[in-house]
Amino acid sequence: MATPVRSSGAERLRPTPGDLLVALAILLSALVLAWALRPAGSGEALSVRLTLDGETLAQYDLTALDGPTRVTVDQVSWPMVLELSPDGVQVVESRCPGQDCVHTGAIHTAGAQIVCLPNRLIIALEGSAPEPTPEFDVIAG
Amino acid sequence: MSVRRLTRCAVLTALALALSVAEGLVPLTVLIPLPGLRLGLANLVTLYALYALSGRDALLILVARCLLGALVGGNLMALAFSLTGGLLSLGVMALLRRVPGLSLFGVSMAGAAAHNTGQILSALVVLGSLSPLVYLPPLLLCSLVTGAFTGAVAALLVRYVPSPVESERKT
Amino acid sequence: MSSRPVLFPALLCAALLAGCSAAPGAPSGGGSAQRTLFAMDTLMNLQITGPQAQEALEAAVGELGRLDRLLDRNEPESDISRLNAHAGDGTFVTLDGSTLELLELCRSCYETSGGAFDCTIAPVMDAWGFGGTGEDYHVPSQAELDVLLPLVDSAALDVDAGMGSARLTASGMAVDLGGIAKGYAADRLLDLLEDYEVDSALLDLGTSTIAALGERDGGGPWRIALRDPSDGERQLGVLALSGQALSTSGGYERQFEENGVTYHHILDPRTGYPAETGVLSVTVVGESAAVADAWSTALFVLGPEEAEALWRGSDSFDYILCRADGQVQVTEGLEDSFTFWGDEYGYTCEILRR
Repeated sequence: MATPVRSSGAERLRPTPGDLLVALAILLSALVLAWALRPAGSGEALSVRLTLDGETLAQYDLTALDGPTRVTVDQVSWPMVLELSPDGVQVVESRCPGQDCVHTGAIHTAGAQIVCLPNRLIIALEGSAPEPTPEFDVIAG
Repeated sequence: MSVRRLTRCAVLTALALALSVAEGLVPLTVLIPLPGLRLGLANLVTLYALYALSGRDALLILVARCLLGALVGGNLMALAFSLTGGLLSLGVMALLRRVPGLSLFGVSMAGAAAHNTGQILSALVVLGSLSPLVYLPPLLLCSLVTGAFTGAVAALLVRYVPSPVESERKT
Repeated sequence: MSSRPVLFPALLCAALLAGCSAAPGAPSGGGSAQRTLFAMDTLMNLQITGPQAQEALEAAVGELGRLDRLLDRNEPESDISRLNAHAGDGTFVTLDGSTLELLELCRSCYETSGGAFDCTIAPVMDAWGFGGTGEDYHVPSQAELDVLLPLVDSAALDVDAGMGSARLTASGMAVDLGGIAKGYAADRLLDLLEDYEVDSALLDLGTSTIAALGERDGGGPWRIALRDPSDGERQLGVLALSGQALSTSGGYERQFEENGVTYHHILDPRTGYPAETGVLSVTVVGESAAVADAWSTALFVLGPEEAEALWRGSDSFDYILCRADGQVQVTEGLEDSFTFWGDEYGYTCEILRR
């Protein structure tokens, strides 16, 4: 580590063709990854699922909404307010320090999501209607 | 560790810390809403240390900056994120610096990309879900720009700020 | 960050408190208690709401354990094991009052069902392997059944309530209460819950026997979905139940396959073979869970026509019978409380009227 650095450095301060290769490699991996992760059923969002620590916290049926509806999520470390609308969801208010979730704005397509890292909460749009809540207390059989 | 080196590292750590706080005041995410998106000003110091000093000093400054940053910001999770991102980035940059035909620009871009990858990886672990992966492609694209920017500034620094290591040698 | 450690427990408490006060079915001061336990070879779930819910639950669990020890014929010291052990030797075996009460009930169900419900079916059950833990199912030979069938006869079960004892008159006879014990246990628990001023309860004694008391959390009668006998993931409909019990018998509960033929566990005491009457499942609803339990077995064995005839002659039960041809027959007493969902799966619903 004690080798002087600048001896080989002069020409290394200007962009080289090698840099272009690095840039292309990053670009390519970004594109490949984006393709691999493209939303499967990218269609109309029908429901919103809130996942906290891998478990579904709540699920809202967007098709049942007439207009924008606000929902307070207070089971998380930094409570937040969501606005559900028939075509998507957005975080309108959050007590978290980053505010990334608020800046993200509204998401509309199935598969899109807002990740709230401080809360470890994932707000995801899904292309399927939520599971109906059981209309019974127990099954006999 | 010599007093000179200690002081140098301390000053650079303070600078890195100041830069990362300053960066937080003007979040890039207002323009482009991508969680984890930053200009990477603090990475500038790492890059400079890597080129003008040594890999070991760069590592020292990086770890000290992350720990102090967590103390100032008071967020343990942020520490995990900045450390994973920072260490992966430094590792990649230290390796690529030895590759002939690559300038500081390429190294910086790869470092920025590695930083974002590291952050997303730790987000995967923290959330226990593959969800954050969708942010990686756009973050990688942004890292081309931010990496080139920090690379350019670092190139200016390395050129115009005399390397303390060499000036020590001369004296 | 500094607010986080305080905030989270505070929110948690708020959520928990909200959960308590938001239960509209719970009367003021009333608590609720719930437990899942293993008893009588099945997984049971008890839900109780009332001022002394926890005490009531403890008492209920204790009573289940007591009955299990009395009635389990695989338990060497149980009342039933002792009764079976003395079969044919003439001795009257002194039994617990609960056991005697249940045996008398078995006798009466045997008579009213014309022998379709018979608690002395044990020797034939064992020949099929349905009596044990379930690893040794096999089809017995006709010769074997011919020997065993005369031993299946509840008329040869003497119950002397005055003496507090009973006996089996023929050697080789054995009693198995699998078809009625859970129903009887449900009745006993309902009696016991009265002492604790319980407001509401749902006693699920292993899905086939369910007793409902009062109203569910949230108001209204308890809603009990009935399994589609052809597909455990689906339901035929939902039954609103309050102050009543139900029992379901279905061939799907326990069955095995030999040489491409499926044999289920509901044996016809008259033939010794699984009852094949074109019935997939029967759910009987009545005041007494024990009677519902016995009748669900009897109606399964008797088949749709005889079931209907028996129902017309009795006012103590109603039933929902799912036939193999896709028809679901519901007696008129359940017309208002049963919501049929089966049309989605190709079933048709018919209301039987008196």
